[in-house]
Amino acid sequence: MARVEFKNIVKVYEDEKRGSFTAVKGSSFVIEDREFVVFVGPSGCGKTTSLRMIAGLERQTSGDIRIGERVVNDLHPKDRDIAMVFQDYALYPHMTIAENLSFGLRNLKRPKDEIERKVKEASSILGLGDMLSRKPRELSGGQRQRVAVGRAIVRDPQVFLFDEPLSNLDAKLRIQMRVELAELHKRLGATIVYVTHDQVEAMTLGERIVVMNEGEIQQIASPTELYNKPNNMFVAGFIGSPAMNFIDARIGGGQALLAGGTAFPLPEAAARALGAYEGKPIVLGVRPEHIYGEAMAPDRAGSAKLEAHVQVVEQLGAESLVYFRVGERMVTARVHPELPVALGARQTFVLDAAKLHWFDPQTEQRIVF
Amino acid sequence: MRSTTSHAAGSGAARFRQFLRNYGWAYAFIAVPVLLFLVFTLYPVGWAFVISFQKYGILKSTWVGFDNYTYMFKDDVFWKSMRNTVIFTIGTVPVNILISFGLAFLIFQLKQRAQTFFKAVLYLPTVASGVTLSIVWIAIFDPTPSGMLNRLLIQLGLDPVIWLGQKSTALFSLMLMSWLGSHGSGIILYLAAMGGIPKSLYEAADIDHASGWKKFSRITWPLLKPTTLYLLVTGVITSFQVFISVYLMTQGGPDFATTTIAYLIYQTAFNFNQFGLASAQAFVLAAVIVIVSVLQFKFFSTDIEY
Repeated sequence: MARVEFKNIVKVYEDEKRGSFTAVKGSSFVIEDREFVVFVGPSGCGKTTSLRMIAGLERQTSGDIRIGERVVNDLHPKDRDIAMVFQDYALYPHMTIAENLSFGLRNLKRPKDEIERKVKEASSILGLGDMLSRKPRELSGGQRQRVAVGRAIVRDPQVFLFDEPLSNLDAKLRIQMRVELAELHKRLGATIVYVTHDQVEAMTLGERIVVMNEGEIQQIASPTELYNKPNNMFVAGFIGSPAMNFIDARIGGGQALLAGGTAFPLPEAAARALGAYEGKPIVLGVRPEHIYGEAMAPDRAGSAKLEAHVQVVEQLGAESLVYFRVGERMVTARVHPELPVALGARQTFVLDAAKLHWFDPQTEQRIVF
Repeated sequence: MRSTTSHAAGSGAARFRQFLRNYGWAYAFIAVPVLLFLVFTLYPVGWAFVISFQKYGILKSTWVGFDNYTYMFKDDVFWKSMRNTVIFTIGTVPVNILISFGLAFLIFQLKQRAQTFFKAVLYLPTVASGVTLSIVWIAIFDPTPSGMLNRLLIQLGLDPVIWLGQKSTALFSLMLMSWLGSHGSGIILYLAAMGGIPKSLYEAADIDHASGWKKFSRITWPLLKPTTLYLLVTGVITSFQVFISVYLMTQGGPDFATTTIAYLIYQTAFNFNQFGLASAQAFVLAAVIVIVSVLQFKFFSTDIEY
């Protein structure tokens, strides 16, 4: 296994008609040996391009890529000692599962008994034993997915690359495969780089997550750190479902004045840190699960209260999502299902003072204190 | 009981009216080509089958049982033409498939605009009629020293050849015309099939240590097998029926060296007025084509899906 390092990687695509497009704008990071790192972001953010550059399927425009101790800038994919699982699995349709699994080893001219042993091992890890003589089209989506993973395992590479491998599966299968992949990582102790646009997948699988947007890395952190301490409004809004609420506000006299007229006193630490914003606009970020109905608010929540007309209520069984407007923005609260809520009624909500985030509306960066 | 029956009949009629309302137009539209097929294809084929057991005359036909078939199988010219047809087929179909594949493979590497240009240019001969092509080729095969191909030979220091006029080169000349003729459909089909192979398969192969040759032999060629099979079957069928070039360029000569089955059928029917024998020959040709096609499907068919 090995670590992977990006140093000032830039990728520019030149197109005759559309001009040039910068897919990755100077990324640098280190993926440690045996680490499971997930790249996440909306489509077009540069995450798949980054993965393909590690694989050698794309050449970076500038910067260095290191796998282990080697700079691999000019190495062909086959010489990088990586294995990749593709979004569409890329199984060879005319070969049996056994042939699919062994294709790479046969190209390497490994001894027959070694190939057989490795195919057997991989197929038993993934439960493919009785499918080895079948063709890919005779397999279900989940089974094909396993074959694609198996093909990577038999190669015993330094780094595993996964390009949105679960996106073609139905929701139930996706959850099952997610669990299997996490177990596989533990079992193989492999360095895994995994790309997805699904933040739930990222949160559940990644030891660390790289959040990207428009070709730039927004934050690299553990799932809990991303959730609790997002660097900026993009990360705050992207991680977590339903997304974090943003409320326009002003700071004045130690108080937060929210759009729509509500005001509440700031805790001391916050008041000190936000002093520089006195009289200026600021954005308050609060996650739906940190807004309570007044009747059920825990004591520690504090005195950040706001009143609003409830517009929509979604009963999800274990919880309810309540939607109301604060100023121009729609706000979602995830509340206890037994909280009495009447549609259209004016209701008082309590914001958990310890869980509030403050953002600079110009830079969109979180104000740290 | 009685009321139930009449009720059922009534609902049956109502169902039929409903059916007509729903599907009447669809059936009307289908009826036109079906009728054309029945009148101009199925009926003549059936009638020809009947004639093949007759000594056919315009005014009077007599039943002769299997005489036409036995005569045919004893006829040297029939076997000669069968041999010519088989040689022509074996000599042209695989070569043409390889040429189409090679050209498609080269074109596939080009940029989109260049691809479109070559596709169009190479497809043009397919649109041209066989008659036009044959006339051009008669000029190319002109046996005098001023003939196009002969001039080339003389330039290379070789003797001119009577391309179509001698037994040793006549059939070869027709094959040469086929090799250099139309590969448009084959190229288009191969290009479409090549475009249909997911790029990720090649990327996976790159990671799997596959060399350029391995990618070609283990991925491209096997995945194009359905297209190759299609071209093989249709190519063999067309080649078994080769007629226009023979009719226009050699008239089956010299000494039956280029008489193909299709040309023999034409001659038997319209030069010798033996419609019964010609029909028998046609049915044997059809049977051969069916058998060969079935064998091709049996040995070359694949279950590829991607």
